[in-house]
Amino acid sequence: MTDHERLGPPPVEPMSDVAWSRVERGLWARMDAAEATASGAHAGPPSRRWWIVAAPLVAAAAVAAIVLGTRTTTQEIAVTDEPARVVSGSAPSSVSFGDSHVELDANTALVMDHEHGHPIVLLERGAAWFSVAPRKQRPEFIVRAGDATVRVVGTRFRVARSDERIVVDVERGLVDVQFRGSMAAVGASQRWSSEAPATISTIAGTPPAVGPVASAEAPAEPPAESSVEPSTETKTTSGPARTAPEPRPIAKHAPKLEAKAEPKLDAKAEPKLDAKAESNPRGIPATGIDTDRAEYERLATLEPNDPAVALTGYLALARGTSRWADLALYAAARLAADRHDRRAETLLGIYLQRFPDGANAADARQLLARLKSARP
Amino acid sequence: MPTIGAVGFPASAAREHDLELARRAANGERSAQRELFLEQRANVHRALFRILGSNRELEDLLQDAFIEIYRALPSFRGDSTLGRWCQTIAVRVAYLAISRRKPPAVDLALVEELVASDIDVRRHALLREATRRLYAALDRVEPKQRIAFALAVIDGKSLAEVAEITDSTVFAVKTRVWRARRDLMKRASKDTVLAAYLDELQGGES
Repeated sequence: MTDHERLGPPPVEPMSDVAWSRVERGLWARMDAAEATASGAHAGPPSRRWWIVAAPLVAAAAVAAIVLGTRTTTQEIAVTDEPARVVSGSAPSSVSFGDSHVELDANTALVMDHEHGHPIVLLERGAAWFSVAPRKQRPEFIVRAGDATVRVVGTRFRVARSDERIVVDVERGLVDVQFRGSMAAVGASQRWSSEAPATISTIAGTPPAVGPVASAEAPAEPPAESSVEPSTETKTTSGPARTAPEPRPIAKHAPKLEAKAEPKLDAKAEPKLDAKAESNPRGIPATGIDTDRAEYERLATLEPNDPAVALTGYLALARGTSRWADLALYAAARLAADRHDRRAETLLGIYLQRFPDGANAADARQLLARLKSARP
Repeated sequence: MPTIGAVGFPASAAREHDLELARRAANGERSAQRELFLEQRANVHRALFRILGSNRELEDLLQDAFIEIYRALPSFRGDSTLGRWCQTIAVRVAYLAISRRKPPAVDLALVEELVASDIDVRRHALLREATRRLYAALDRVEPKQRIAFALAVIDGKSLAEVAEITDSTVFAVKTRVWRARRDLMKRASKDTVLAAYLDELQGGES
């Protein structure tokens, strides 16, 4: 590396406002839980040899959780209608979600949200027991984990996830699981696994963990799918389903996806894409099948393996009028920038024209400035 | 964010501010906890990012770090700035995270190189690639050495600063940086991109 090729220190990648609000939400949820259960026990002053002290502290916390017999009730988190991401640490936690109860295993992460009035839990990693009160006339309770969607009208069941491997155990009641086109009804004392989706087995004892639960490799970004229609019966949905990166309003209409060449990116062509987007302000929940969201999450999943196709897909989605167009357009710009695609600046310019107050506007400005400053 | 010595914000006032904020937050005042979060989040994020690099656990680790910060607030005496104190806790959280990790089984020699033509684009690509290789190599370095190297060499902090943040001595930090560098150079012997980048980083080391 010669002098004129000096690279400088690695940049600290800024976090988006969306990511920060996700962190903050999870933090307050955990703080609330700690306040509700802790009796004011605080850690002592920082040790001069913290690396010696830190490990025993963690071990002591785990032992305390066991001694107190709080396998599933070490934390009690009251959840409002506001979407919340809950992450359990080395000890299990429990969460009240409306009149349902969720018991998180250690090292589990999930997002609780509402979708078309349905309480929905998106399991990012780990495992949790769900005790769902009978729904009667109310919308059913939904759990999504990877490509599996579990819908229930009142039961107690467990969903465990390790990467893309999913296991559903039902203690009582009946749930339906849809997984990549296959459907299965899982009854009391039965188990369904994504490794053999057509087979329902009987639970012999305590449900085991699914591999290395909460491994560092567990996907943190959560695609989600939302083809959910209100019903009082137990039924299933399909499609890719992981947790949403940030709860967002659901789009009414999905744009037609083009499988041909990449869409033109010139500024002239772009305005026609967003004429209706402006009339679809943020914060108003929409109804209907949310193919945009599903498509966005599919593309997010595809991005690491096939960025070119993902970029094309984002651009196609950006032509739509749903709120996902905002996210898709920024994602396309970001991906183009990552790929050193010269269109990145154009895309960012278009994004800021269309969504000057968009969720990613601040990031778009920052990225655009960075790209411009890097130009000769 | 007030810091000691900041223009227009005397050290004593900064210390008072830190102590008062810490006291209110430690008493469970949510507005103070939020104020502290907003003041220190960039600081904590930077410390975690410098040590761990880009990774999918970062959001969870940020939460862990702030939980630890709030838990330890009663012990804050204002001996250092609140920012430095929060960094110390962030470093602990990073240390635990590194200790939990398994090193990835990726052969650096097999990592695909990016190709680009334009000089700036090429530089950008090289920086990304070099960063990726650097953190991949750091994944195999002993945690304390990694932390010392990340803070001193990558983040450009002085050895004294690193010693303060890691509750250590300057001599110990110096030794760790030296060992980390030796380990990294060994790993970079078959990786010209990483070797060149290490050379560059060490050239600017404080």
